[in-house]
Amino acid sequence: MITFGILSQIAALFFTLLSMGLLLSGLGRNNVRLVQAGKRGLLSAMAATTLASIALLSLFLTDSFQVEYVASYSDRALPLFYKITAFWAGQKGSLLFWAWVLSLFIGMVIFNNRKEPDNRNTPYVYLVLAGTLSFFLFLLCAVSNPFDTLNFLPRDGQGLNPMLQNPGMIFHPPILFFGYIGFTVPYAYAIAAMITGNTGVDWIRKTRVWNVLSWIFLSIGIILGGQWAYVELGWGGYWAWDPVENASFIPWLVSTAFIHTAIIQERRGIMKVWNMVLIQLTFLLCIFGTYLVRSGILQSVHDFGATGLGGYFIIFMVIATIGGIYLLAESYNEFKTPGSVESYLSRESTFLFNNVILLALAFATLLGTVFPIISEAVTGNKLTVGQPFFNQVNTPLFLMLVLLTGICPLIGWRKASVSNLRRNFLRPAITALLAGIIMAAFGIRELYPLLAFTLSAFVGATIIQEYITAIRSRKKLSGESSALAGLKLLWKMRRRYGGHIVHFGLAMMVVGIAASSAYKLESQGTLRQGESLSIGDFVLKYESFRQYEKYNRTIYAATLGVFRDGTRIDEMEAERRYYVNAKQPTTEVAIRSTLVEDLYVTMPGIGKGNEITLKVAVNPLLIWIWFGSGLMVLGGILAIIPSRRKKS
Amino acid sequence: MKKSNRKVMIAILILLTSVGFLIYRGLADTGVYYMTVGELKTSVLGQQLGTNEAVRVGGLIIDGSIDYNQRDLILRFSLKDENNPKETIDAVYNGAKPDAFEPEIEALLEGTYDRVKNLFQADTLLVKCPSKYESEQDNEQEVGK
Repeated sequence: MITFGILSQIAALFFTLLSMGLLLSGLGRNNVRLVQAGKRGLLSAMAATTLASIALLSLFLTDSFQVEYVASYSDRALPLFYKITAFWAGQKGSLLFWAWVLSLFIGMVIFNNRKEPDNRNTPYVYLVLAGTLSFFLFLLCAVSNPFDTLNFLPRDGQGLNPMLQNPGMIFHPPILFFGYIGFTVPYAYAIAAMITGNTGVDWIRKTRVWNVLSWIFLSIGIILGGQWAYVELGWGGYWAWDPVENASFIPWLVSTAFIHTAIIQERRGIMKVWNMVLIQLTFLLCIFGTYLVRSGILQSVHDFGATGLGGYFIIFMVIATIGGIYLLAESYNEFKTPGSVESYLSRESTFLFNNVILLALAFATLLGTVFPIISEAVTGNKLTVGQPFFNQVNTPLFLMLVLLTGICPLIGWRKASVSNLRRNFLRPAITALLAGIIMAAFGIRELYPLLAFTLSAFVGATIIQEYITAIRSRKKLSGESSALAGLKLLWKMRRRYGGHIVHFGLAMMVVGIAASSAYKLESQGTLRQGESLSIGDFVLKYESFRQYEKYNRTIYAATLGVFRDGTRIDEMEAERRYYVNAKQPTTEVAIRSTLVEDLYVTMPGIGKGNEITLKVAVNPLLIWIWFGSGLMVLGGILAIIPSRRKKS
Repeated sequence: MKKSNRKVMIAILILLTSVGFLIYRGLADTGVYYMTVGELKTSVLGQQLGTNEAVRVGGLIIDGSIDYNQRDLILRFSLKDENNPKETIDAVYNGAKPDAFEPEIEALLEGTYDRVKNLFQADTLLVKCPSKYESEQDNEQEVGK
C-alpha cells in the first residue's frame, strides 16, 4: 500500500506535467486534439491523486505505523472516526488533501465545460490549474512525502493530539481548505482572460458560483475554527487574532471585497483591473494561508523561510506575483474602460469605500501577523503585536464597514438624488437612533459597543424596510398575501435577497461579538462537594463527582446544579479527561447556551477529596454570533442557486 | 479627471490617511518587544526595559520548577533560554495551567519583568502545542529513513 501510494503520487505528477506539455503544444499549434489529450491527462492525474489519498486513508485504517505520518498522528486506541480525520492533522497529509481536492475541482471544471467547444480561454485555464496542482504534487513527491517510512516498526503510534479529537476537527480543516482551493478556479480564469485578452466580464460571470461558494466555505471554515476554539480550548473565547486564524481571515476579507466589485463590473463594466488584482491577491493569500498553517513557521518564527517547505512556497508565490504583475502590465491597454464612478453618492462609490476598508482590514491584519519578522529585519529587534493591536485598529474599521453595509442598499446605482436618499434613510436612521437611546438608558455607555448596537440596528432596519416596500408593491401588482409575496420575492430575486440575508447575518454577528466581548463576566473558585459559586444571576452548586472510562480516555466529571433566583433550572457537567498516550489531562468545556447568554464552565483542577477548581464565565448574546454566521452562509447559498432559465 | 471622480478620490485619500494613522497608533500603543530569556537578561534592549514595561519572552519550561496551586490557580515556574540554558528567570502566572504545560516545552509569556527579583509577572501565557505540527521527536526518528 505504501509503494502504491508513492507510485500514485508520482503518476499524478507525471500526468499533470504531461498534460501541461500537451496543452502548451496544443495552444502553440492551434491543435484541438492535443488540448483534448491534455484534458484527459488532467483527468488521469485526478484519478491518480484520488488513489494516493485512498492509499493514505487505508494506511491509517490498518494502523500501519511503519509509515512515519501514520505513527505521528494515530494510535491503535484512536476511534475510527478520528483515524480518518488524522489524514489532515499534519503537514504532509494536508498537502495531499490539498492536491486531491484541487484535482477533483479541476475535474469539475472540465465537466462543467464539457458542452462548450474549447475556445481560446479554457486551455489556459487548465494550464494554470495544472501548474498549481503540479506544485503541490511536486512537494508531495520530493519534499514532504506522507508515505515516508520509519526505519523501525513502532508498536503503537503517538496518537492524535486530544485537542484535535473533537467533531470540529472533522469539518474545520477540510472546509477551510475547500475555500482556499476553490479560489484557484476563478484565479485560473482571470489569468487566462489576461493572456488571451478577453478581459471583459466573461470570466467573472463564469466563475461567480466558484467565487461565492469558495467564500462560503472560507466563512464556514473560519466559523467552525472559532467554535472549535470556544468549545474545546477552554479559555472562553472564539477568536484570538492568532496567526493561524489571521491566515484564514485575510483572504476572506479580500475575497469579500472582490465579490462586491465583481458585481460592479457585471453591472457597469468598470473596475476591470481592480478585479484582476483582487482575485490574484485572494489566491496568493490562500496559498500564503496554507503556507502559514502547514509549513511549520509558526512553530518557530525564527526560521521564516528557512525550512525546506517554506522556501518552495515562497518561490511559488513570487513566481505567481511576478507573472501576475507582468500580465497586468502587458494587457493594460485591454483594460481601458469607458465610464467611471459617476457620483460620490452612488452605490458604486459605497462599494469602493467598502473595498478600501476591507483591504485596510486585510492589510492591518497581515501587517500585525508578520510584524515581528519585518521589525526584526529592519531594526534587529523583534517587535510583536497581539490582540490589543488588532482590536484597537480593526474595531473602528469594522464599524465603518457595518455603517456602509447599511447605507449601500439605500443608494441607487450611478447617482442618487437627495430627496430619494432622505426618503430611504429616514426610518432606518430613526430606528437606529431609538435603539441607541434605549441601549444607553440600559446603561451601555462605552462608545464601541454602543456604536456596534446602533449600527447593527441601522443595517437590520434598512434591510427590513427594503423588504417590506418590495412586498407591498408586489402585493399591489399580484394580489398575493404578504407571506406568499415575501417568499416569492426571496426566491425570484434570490441574488439580491441572498446578499441582504448575508448582511443581516453580519449585523447579528456584530451584536453578538460586541455584547460578548464588552459585557463578559468571569469568576473562579475552589469548591468542596455541596458548596456553590455565584456569577451574575447564576449560582453553580457542586453536587456530585464520578469517574468512568470511555473509548480511549478516563473521564473525571463533576455535576453542577445551575440555580437562578433559588430554583434549580439546569445541570452541567464539568470534565477532565485523561487520554491514553497523552501525558497531560485535557480540560473539557461545559456550555449552557440560551439566546440571552452562554454559561461557560471549565474545571482546571481536581484536588484532594475531589475538591474542584472552577473557572466560570457568562458571555452575553454569544449565540448570536453562531446564528448570524449561519444566516450569512444561508444567504450566500441562496444567492448562487442557479435559475432554471437557460441563458442563450 | 471629472469633478465627481475627484471627490471620490479625495474621500478615499482621507480614508487611507486615517487608516494609516490608526495602524501607526496601534503599533506605537500596543507593540511589545519579543526576547528570549537570554536576551531579556543580557541584551542592551533587555536591560533598558523598565519594571512596568510590557515585554514578551520565550523560553523552555525547566523540569522540576513547576509549582501549581490549583486551588487558587497560581502557577509558578522557571524558564531557561533555549540556546543558553544557564540563563533562567522565575515566572508567576495567575490563572489555570494550560493542558499542554509540560517541562521542556516552549512557553511564551507576556507581562513585566522585575530585574532585581529576577521574577517575571506573566499576564498571558501561551504554550506551544507539543504535537500539533511536526514534533522534534519525529524529526529524530526520521534519521536514516
